[in-house]
Amino acid sequence: MTFTEALKTVQKIPRDAKPFEVVLVCGFTPLHLQTYVTAHLYSAMQNRAVKVAPGVYGNMATTLEGLAQCGAQAVAVALEWPDLDPRLGFREGSGWAADQVADALASAKTMLDRILAAMLHLPKGTRVVVSLPTLPFAPLFHTPGWQGAETELMLHQLISDFSVQVARAGMAVMNPRSLNETSAPGSRYDFKSDLRTGLPYTMAHADMMGAAFAHLIAPPSPKKAIITDLDNTLWHGIAGEVGPGAVEWDLASHHRLHGLYQMLLAALSQQGVLVGIASKNDPKIVNEAFLREDLLLSSSQVFPVEVHWNAKSGSVERILQTWNIAADSVIFVDDSPMELAEVATAHPGIHCIQFPAGDDAAGFAMLRQLRDLCGKERLSEDDALRLNSIREGAAFRQAASGSEAPETFLRDARAAVTFEFGTGHLDARALELVNKTNQFNLNGVRFSEADWQELVSAPGALVAVVSYEDKFGKLGRIAVLQGQCAGRTLNLRVWVMSCRAFARRIEHLCLRVLFDRFNVDNICFDFIGTPRNGPLQDFLVQVTGGHATSEKFTLPREAFLNTCPELHHKILEIDTDEPAR
Amino acid sequence: MSLPDNIHTRLVECFQTVFPDITAEAIPSVSQASTPAWDSLAAITLVQVLEDEFSLVLDLDQVADMDSFDKVLGYLRGELQEA
Repeated sequence: MTFTEALKTVQKIPRDAKPFEVVLVCGFTPLHLQTYVTAHLYSAMQNRAVKVAPGVYGNMATTLEGLAQCGAQAVAVALEWPDLDPRLGFREGSGWAADQVADALASAKTMLDRILAAMLHLPKGTRVVVSLPTLPFAPLFHTPGWQGAETELMLHQLISDFSVQVARAGMAVMNPRSLNETSAPGSRYDFKSDLRTGLPYTMAHADMMGAAFAHLIAPPSPKKAIITDLDNTLWHGIAGEVGPGAVEWDLASHHRLHGLYQMLLAALSQQGVLVGIASKNDPKIVNEAFLREDLLLSSSQVFPVEVHWNAKSGSVERILQTWNIAADSVIFVDDSPMELAEVATAHPGIHCIQFPAGDDAAGFAMLRQLRDLCGKERLSEDDALRLNSIREGAAFRQAASGSEAPETFLRDARAAVTFEFGTGHLDARALELVNKTNQFNLNGVRFSEADWQELVSAPGALVAVVSYEDKFGKLGRIAVLQGQCAGRTLNLRVWVMSCRAFARRIEHLCLRVLFDRFNVDNICFDFIGTPRNGPLQDFLVQVTGGHATSEKFTLPREAFLNTCPELHHKILEIDTDEPAR
Repeated sequence: MSLPDNIHTRLVECFQTVFPDITAEAIPSVSQASTPAWDSLAAITLVQVLEDEFSLVLDLDQVADMDSFDKVLGYLRGELQEA
């Protein structure tokens, strides 16, 4: 993005949209960096009036300490060496003698401690992102530039220790290796601009820093699932031709790329990414291949498996139905351009990747691309449960459809539902569920951490996180409700439920528990119809008798009880407030 | 090579990018003295926009003397016609 493009993007930001305020904390003149952060962030969240305000020039720690009560949604910290001690940079400082260098190291440690303490005291719910020093040191060390001086290495160690503490505290650290690839270290520093204007970044570096900060502040939603082909994708060779024992993925056969792909899929599966198979193949041969002990992806990590000779778009359709997720949350990997085109045409929005068999450089890029598309900031217990719960959900639906008496089936399911009620504290896992759920979502509204914190901190606010298990297995956390009581009415602002939990009457139970626990006569829904919340709309039509057409409507207790079916769940209610970070 | 009147038009657009509150008609008469928004930060911003638009690298020392639309226009005409 050129600077002019960035400036014009900033000028397009609608002033009347909901504000999204960021404080840019840096010790230098933020000018162009501020423009680039604003432009890139607005490109990532065009429904918000993005405003990036700079901190106090030349004093990072003081700026951070002054933000303890700030109302900004995010704080971006662009740390550079002179912020730790002016002698480490070029604009200030009065000497680089050996004793001064040693003193600079000591003062850098003190300053980093102060900066960390101030960051830890930033308001709960504020998204805090930090970049580690990106620019070169002044030539203050005794070694030639190609040799690391002990003091220089100790400074790097300080930064490394600092970054670990920052990450452990739940703040996001810009990955220096990733930045090295987009902004070459030798092309970042503008000496003249630093001395004349106080802006040390070249324009290209300011652009890349702005983009990286925007990615950290408003990360893209990770993909939820991967559907993969088998022959010449999961392994090298065509199993039906060479036999299941002769397909290869190891180093000795020079087909290690396929083995690495298997390893990545296995790791992603463990991290909650769903992995399914769509292959034109003989099921018997595929079964034999999956029995091989050297396969690096276990069959237990894959579900569903669509192996036959019919069109892959149909396989993808059935897999999406089983997962109950939309195509735009899914990656489809196949070595055949024709198959990719067929699936892409039938499922607009699906992310198609051609497996680059035989091209190691492209394979290396593909592995990294998959990691970037599926990477998530934190893992939860529910991530490990996801695949099993999908598998068990399929078993549940199959058993339910085969039952002559659904009522009997639901009663015998031994369903246990836990409601965790909290007030005021940020629950990152609850927020993640709110922000990734589309189908059973009251209004589709997404929240930043700060937005969420503001919502749940309001007087009378309530948050309920719902977990479920039955005789088929655990689904883990499957629903989040947020609202506020006003007299005898509960205003429900947020209600999401995982599609894994459909058809178990959990949605009815949620409302009944809210009516009972808060002893209210009405629940007022902040409903907004979206192109994707059809299942939620169907439910509302059912419980309101078709009256849920307006964007905000009230459901009286009596009306709900008249339509509520019999509920067989065992209920556990827990009062809990989880610490923010 | 750009025609002088083309340079004028492009320069007006550059000024409008940096000073969006000033109309295109008023821009040819602006100067640093008559434009409160034209402070040191705006000057740096203007330099970068000019570099983007005209594919030039401007010398910050020379830029200090370019304190009106006319002076910037004169500088650009000189640079671009010499090129």
